[in-house]
Amino acid sequence: MSRFERKILFAIGLSVFLALGGSIFLAQGALRDVYAVGVNERFGTELVHGVEARQSHLMALRTGSDQVADAVVWAVEAEVAKRGEKSALEAVLQNLLERYEVVQGIRVVNAGDEVLAEVARPLDSSSEPLRSTVRKRETQLGAGKVRVAVEVAVPERYFERLQEAGEVADVYSRLQRQGASVSDVYAWVFGVLAFLVIVAAFLIGAIVSRRVTRRVTDLAEASRKVGAGDLTVSLPTGAEDEVAELTKAFNQMVRDLRDSRTRIEYLQRIGAWQDFARRLAHEIKNPLTPIQLAAQEMDETYTGEDKAYQEKLAHARAIIEEEVATLRRLVGEFSAFAKLPQADLSPSDLCELVHGIENSIPAVLEDLGEGAARAVEVRLSCATEPIAVRMDPMMLKRCVDNILRNAIQAASREHPHGGGLVLLRAYQGERRAFVEVRDNGPGIDEENWERVFDPYYTTKAEGTGLGLAIVKKVVLEHGGEVRLDRAPEGGARFSIELPLMESR
Amino acid sequence: MRLALAAMVLLIAAVAYGQSQLPLRDFGVAWSQGAAKVSFSAIDLADERVRRELSSGLRKRLVVTVGVHLNGSNWRMGVRQFGCDVTRDLWEDGYLVRIGDRSERLDTLEQVLDRCLLVQGLFVGDPKSYELQKGKDIYFAVRAEFNPISKKQCSQLIRPATGGDPVGPISVNIVRRRICRAERTVEFRSQLLRVPE
Repeated sequence: MSRFERKILFAIGLSVFLALGGSIFLAQGALRDVYAVGVNERFGTELVHGVEARQSHLMALRTGSDQVADAVVWAVEAEVAKRGEKSALEAVLQNLLERYEVVQGIRVVNAGDEVLAEVARPLDSSSEPLRSTVRKRETQLGAGKVRVAVEVAVPERYFERLQEAGEVADVYSRLQRQGASVSDVYAWVFGVLAFLVIVAAFLIGAIVSRRVTRRVTDLAEASRKVGAGDLTVSLPTGAEDEVAELTKAFNQMVRDLRDSRTRIEYLQRIGAWQDFARRLAHEIKNPLTPIQLAAQEMDETYTGEDKAYQEKLAHARAIIEEEVATLRRLVGEFSAFAKLPQADLSPSDLCELVHGIENSIPAVLEDLGEGAARAVEVRLSCATEPIAVRMDPMMLKRCVDNILRNAIQAASREHPHGGGLVLLRAYQGERRAFVEVRDNGPGIDEENWERVFDPYYTTKAEGTGLGLAIVKKVVLEHGGEVRLDRAPEGGARFSIELPLMESR
Repeated sequence: MRLALAAMVLLIAAVAYGQSQLPLRDFGVAWSQGAAKVSFSAIDLADERVRRELSSGLRKRLVVTVGVHLNGSNWRMGVRQFGCDVTRDLWEDGYLVRIGDRSERLDTLEQVLDRCLLVQGLFVGDPKSYELQKGKDIYFAVRAEFNPISKKQCSQLIRPATGGDPVGPISVNIVRRRICRAERTVEFRSQLLRVPE
């Protein structure tokens, strides 16, 4: 992981975890406050009071049931004493049963366990469940003792509600005791879950940021390679963002550097060849005149009678003069190549150049012989709008002329009886201008597409191999490129690419 | 993976150590039909406050859990648990004690404590477990609790608010453990004894 990546991750982590810590702290306080609103001492006390009230109510019912039992016994004693007979006991009990709602039944038995009277409230299956108990009393009735059993009952729900209230009060009291810890549990669970979410977000952020930082570190690494001289470096641009723009600019810069280096290397090579050509021309040119003069003198000063020898001398003189003439031509070309001036660029219209060439085509065809004029058709085209480039019209015309001558020769050789075609056109691209010459000749093998621009490389018997080298030198001095490939017509296609004036 | 394994080993060791540190108490142990029958008293669970609450008229719960453990190991060979629901009857004198499906009425609190916390001849573990550990040292560990709220009741009383967030359910689970645990707990263990050959 690079320092850049570590810094980005540290910044993300710091901001995220500070936010998390702050939110847990605030959430803890808020939860405690909210918890205290719902679970507090006041409510707890009231709940306990509610339970105590139910307990007191039940205890009061119990006391009441005892009092009812006592009241029943007193009533029985009073009624029997008043009426003076036990036979009225049943009616007395019935009356008491109607008077006291809690009483479910009354039984009076004597000492011998003989039931003297008994009443009971009829069972009602639709009524609510009751909890009953029997209160037993003993009393003196007349001459003997009797036992009075009074069954009293209260609704079962009183007991159930007490238990329910007790359970709720119990849980509430526990919640109250654990108040701080309960709100802390919520805060920490929130914190842990938020932490997990943040860790996941952090990892995603790390992965995403790594994609960005990786591109930046790749750029840095590529810059180091370029600095070390490797100009083949090219980086993928990836998504459309600022880093992609930077990468595109970097790739363009490397391409420009590569092109410049290629151009400089080529021009240096041409310069070396020019130096070589100058020396060669100088060394060859000097002895040519003495050689020619010596041959002429030998032929002219012979005074002998030997006819055969005289003919040999004349023949030798002719050969020498012819070869000297060839050497003079070569020396002339070498000398011209050596003295080739630097292009003097000025704003010009590329179409004007094409039209100038158009005018010279008849002369070119004538120069190449009548066969070429008959066999090859030359077509030229250019845009109606001017194509503004900075160029040396003379030198560039010479270059295009050279290529055009080659094309006409190739087309006429391939189609000696007509049908040869050479196209010359100039057009404008997005940032570059193009001059294209293509023919339907035999074309050039792909493995020689680069070599044809090397000095002294030629496929023609009478060629010096300097023409296309000069073309390339001139085009490079224009800041352009010249390329060779296969034309759609089957022959060769030379493309000269020049920068438009706006793009300079 | 190694960390998880190490944590598990540490946890087991901590639990085993924790149990070995429980206070010792006299146990009566008898062997019958290949299994141990234990007798002990956990009446000291009922301190003043527990006695007061048992007499409040509200239903309270006494739970005794007995486990039999192999010495030096966290492995529990067997466990037995029983609980009493005790309600003082406010309508009539006495206490209603419910053990499982059975209910009985006892007159005094002391009778209730004897019934629920004085354990006599309780089978712990099955004969098959002892069969495998013949000649090895074992001990019994007891946990007596006053008024733990049962899981079912606790779930009914403390429920998370309806909503899709995970904070509520997780927090409520933790809160339930705290809120519904026993109000008083007594833990102790027996001396080591050897499983008969």
